[in-house]
Order: sequence, then structure tokens, then C-alpha cells
Amino acid sequence: MAGIGWRHPHYGELLERAASPQRPALDFIEVHSENFFAEGGAALAMLARGRAHYPVSLHGVGLALGSAAGVDAWHLEQLARLVQRMEPLRVSDHACFARGAFGGQTIHAADLLPIPFHREALDVLAANVQRVQDRLKRSIAVENLSAYIAWNGSEMAEPEFLASLASRTGCGLLVDVNNIYVNALNARLQDAAVDPLASCRDWLDAIPAAAVAEIHLAGHKDCGDIVIDDHGSRVIAPVWALYRHALARFGPVPTLIEWDTELPALDVLLDEAAQADRMARTLAEWEAAT
Amino acid sequence: MSLLALQQQALLAALFGAPQDASKLIAAYAHGDWARGLKAYQGNGHALAQRSLQGAFPALAQLLGEESFEALACALWHAQPPRRGDMALWGEALPAFVAASAQLADEPYLADVARVEWALHRAASAADVGPELATLALLTTHPPAQLFLRLAPGTAVVASAYPVASIVTAHLEANPTLEEAGRRLRAGQSEAALVWRQGFKPRLRAALPGEAVFVAALLSGASLAAALDQAGPLDFPPWLGQAVHSGLLLAVTTAPAATATGDTHE
Repeated sequence: MAGIGWRHPHYGELLERAASPQRPALDFIEVHSENFFAEGGAALAMLARGRAHYPVSLHGVGLALGSAAGVDAWHLEQLARLVQRMEPLRVSDHACFARGAFGGQTIHAADLLPIPFHREALDVLAANVQRVQDRLKRSIAVENLSAYIAWNGSEMAEPEFLASLASRTGCGLLVDVNNIYVNALNARLQDAAVDPLASCRDWLDAIPAAAVAEIHLAGHKDCGDIVIDDHGSRVIAPVWALYRHALARFGPVPTLIEWDTELPALDVLLDEAAQADRMARTLAEWEAAT
Repeated sequence: MSLLALQQQALLAALFGAPQDASKLIAAYAHGDWARGLKAYQGNGHALAQRSLQGAFPALAQLLGEESFEALACALWHAQPPRRGDMALWGEALPAFVAASAQLADEPYLADVARVEWALHRAASAADVGPELATLALLTTHPPAQLFLRLAPGTAVVASAYPVASIVTAHLEANPTLEEAGRRLRAGQSEAALVWRQGFKPRLRAALPGEAVFVAALLSGASLAAALDQAGPLDFPPWLGQAVHSGLLLAVTTAPAATATGDTHE
């Protein structure tokens, strides 16, 4: 059920081990779509080799689905070509914006910038998601963000916003458990009364279980005055606890271990994925027994 | 303009515009402690800019040193923000940006170093085309005026008044040594850099006499005869063997090759 983010330093090692008797037991590998937009070259060939061993999940960081300026037609065409080439298990991106007007032109901030949770933002996000799904001829999964700026004018809570998106477009939801925990930790920095675990459980309980297509788990970094979702360390105990809560609520859902900075040995990622698998199996056995 | 568009333009302006304006741009549209969040996003952008350019311009990064390269990346980030969501495409403007930089005017070869590195960067992701060496037989059956040479993906020529190929390969491959590259620079040696891809590996060397003009002509769709006419001192038979061996020449055809396989930069 669990997969790992497959990043450049692990390309060769995972391929080698996948072809050996000690093949790592992964249900899928995830890559960032934009890293494979090239017409050709070594990276694309490597991905094709990886796909021969494991199903591939294409996780985008650049569609900028919440942009009022719309989705970049060029970007969508590159993604469509990659989807056609790789026939991925899943295609996903984020509920964020990055495109907009600056200096008389449309720029792309190359970041996952937060969107407000008001009706206009929902309309824009739904229209953009629909456009992508129409072009790709398949549903995509949309991920909740770690947001470091809270916009004025929000009219609904994030789970309601995402549930409406799923209902209107038929898209899946990619629930990043670490992201909601990071948001809760940052909320507590501004209001000591916030109980991060309780608020995260409320968040998970408000998401329609049937819409959840994937779960992401990662580490984060506490900088003192802000907590950053840096994907640079192991999943911590409270996030594992929330993952258990999510599994109990959503059932077994494909789960990704994300690790993008200060990459450790491949075995560390595989160990995290194994832990996610164990947790899902234990819960399933317990539910079957009761 | 809609509220959403205003909010999004405000954040983009705060991230890419003048730092002193950032706070008042966001204050109207956000609540809570947005200042630390804004700082995090600004930091992300600058780190990404540096990382992206470091990947595409490793020799330039070595030449400038970490602090200057970081400042250069940051300056380009604000002056020419990305237009696409694929950061591998961002950096094309760096050579011209370096050429126009007053701070770097004392080292005018740096812009050509950046041009060569961008050509290498683009060659790495060019469309895959395999060799068809059996077509070399056409050289014995057809006159050169009826033949065209298909060159490797990403083939490009960068003409320079400086020993630009030597400078880049000295930093990336230690060949020649840094001392020798420096000697060639001080001696006023000029080079045209030839970039191509051998398999998946981007390659670079100084062009042979006449080769830069020859390759540029081939890239623009000239026949073998027309390209040789322009090439002057190029000795074709040894060039042919070397080009096949190094993967520069992939095939001989009787139809013009697509001109999109490469680029020339003066």
C-alpha cells in the first residue's frame, strides 16, 4: 500500500535492488511530474526503467490549480504527454496558486502558494481541475497545503472547501497528514489554546472518506517562530498517530513517504514505508477481529 | 479585478517586487502573523533560484564563488521571474543578464561561459535520437550536394572571443587544468565551443578550425557540399571519423535534417 518519493540520489540504487532477489516491497514510486517534462534525456529514460519495476505516481508541483490566471496550457500539454508516456497509477497536484500577473506578464512563482477558502477561489480551482481532468481524460487527486499565510475573506473551513471541490469535479483528495499538522502547529504559535492533535483529528473527520485517493506522510522542521513542511526528516510520532486516525476513518489508502531535502539512505525511506504498511495491516487485522 | 486575483497579485508582487513594498501589499489581504510566512516564501524562492541555476551553470557558480552566485541568482529571480512551472527552463536569460551586469563587466568571458552551460543544459534534455550508421554508405554513392548530415540531439555552437570551452571543461572535467585555461585566457585565445550529446551525456569541446562554421551551416539545413564550402580549413575525412566515434554525427540523409536539432550563438 505504501510507496516512496523516488529522487535522483536513489535512482540507481532502487533500480539495482528492484532487479535483485531483495526487491524492496513498494506498491508504487512517486516522482515530481515537472522533473520529467523534457523531450528526452537521461531522467526520462530512468523513469521509464523505474516504471518497469513499480507503478509510478506523477505528483505535480506546478499546475498551480488555484490560480485566477488559469492553468498554463503549455504546462498541461507537457503533463498530458508525460501521462501518455508513463501511464501512471495516479496523477496529483496541489490546491495552491503560483501563476499570476507581475510586471506586465504572467509569471510562475514555482512554489505552492496558499489560496483563500472563499467561493470565488473554489470556482477557479474547480474550473482548473476540470480542465486538467478533461485534457488528461482521467481524474486527478488534489492535495491540501501547508500554508504560511492566511487570507482574509475565507468563507468556509479547508475540509469543506476540499469536499466541495471533490463533489463538483469528481477529483480525488490527497490528504497530506503532515501538512495539516504543520498548519496546526503554526496556528498554535498564534493561539496557545489550539490543540494541534485535536484540530487535526477534526480536520480529518470533516473530509469525505470516499473522496480520499492517497495520503502523504513526511517530516517537518520547527524553526521556532514557524514550522516548515520541509520533507527533510522522519515522520514524527504525532503524525503517525494522526495517520492511524486517518486510516481508521478512510480505510486502507495508498500512502506516500515524502522526503525531498537532506535525503537519507534509501533504507530509511523503505523503513518509513514499511512502518506505514505495518500500521495499515494492524488496523485492518484489528477491525477484522472486532 | 476579482478579490482572488487581487490577493494573488499582491503575493506575487511581495515575492518578486521590491522588498520594501512587500509588507503593505500583503497587509490588506491577509490576517494573523503573515510576516513570518512571507519571509518563508521569499526564502523558498531564493533558495530555489540558486539551486536551479547551480544545476544548470556549475562552472559559472565555481567561477563566481558561492556568495556572488547566490546574489546573481537572487537578482535574476527578481528581474526575470520564471514564466513556466518547469524550473529547468528558467535560466535562459542568465547569459544576457551576466553580459549586462555592471558588477561583472571586469570578467567579460563569464557571459559566454553561461551561454555554453545553457547549451549543455538544454542538450541534456533534448529529444532522443539514435545513430543510423548504415546511412554513412550514402557518402560513397551520392554527391555531397545531395547529402545532409544529422547531428546529435542538442548540438550547438557558441562562438566566443575567449577560450570558453577550455574555461568550462577546466572547471567541470579538470581538462585542461585551471592554470592552463587561465593562461589561454590571458593570451587572448578565442574558441568556438561545440556542444552535443553522446548517448545521454552532454559533451563539449573547442571546435576545430572551420568546424564551427561547418556545424552551424549543417544546423541551418545546408547540404554537406554547401557546409563544406563554408567550412574553409576543415579537413573532412578525419572530422567524419571523429564525429561518428564521439556520437556527434548520427546519420547521413538525402533530405535536409530538421533545423531544430541545435542552435548557434554568436
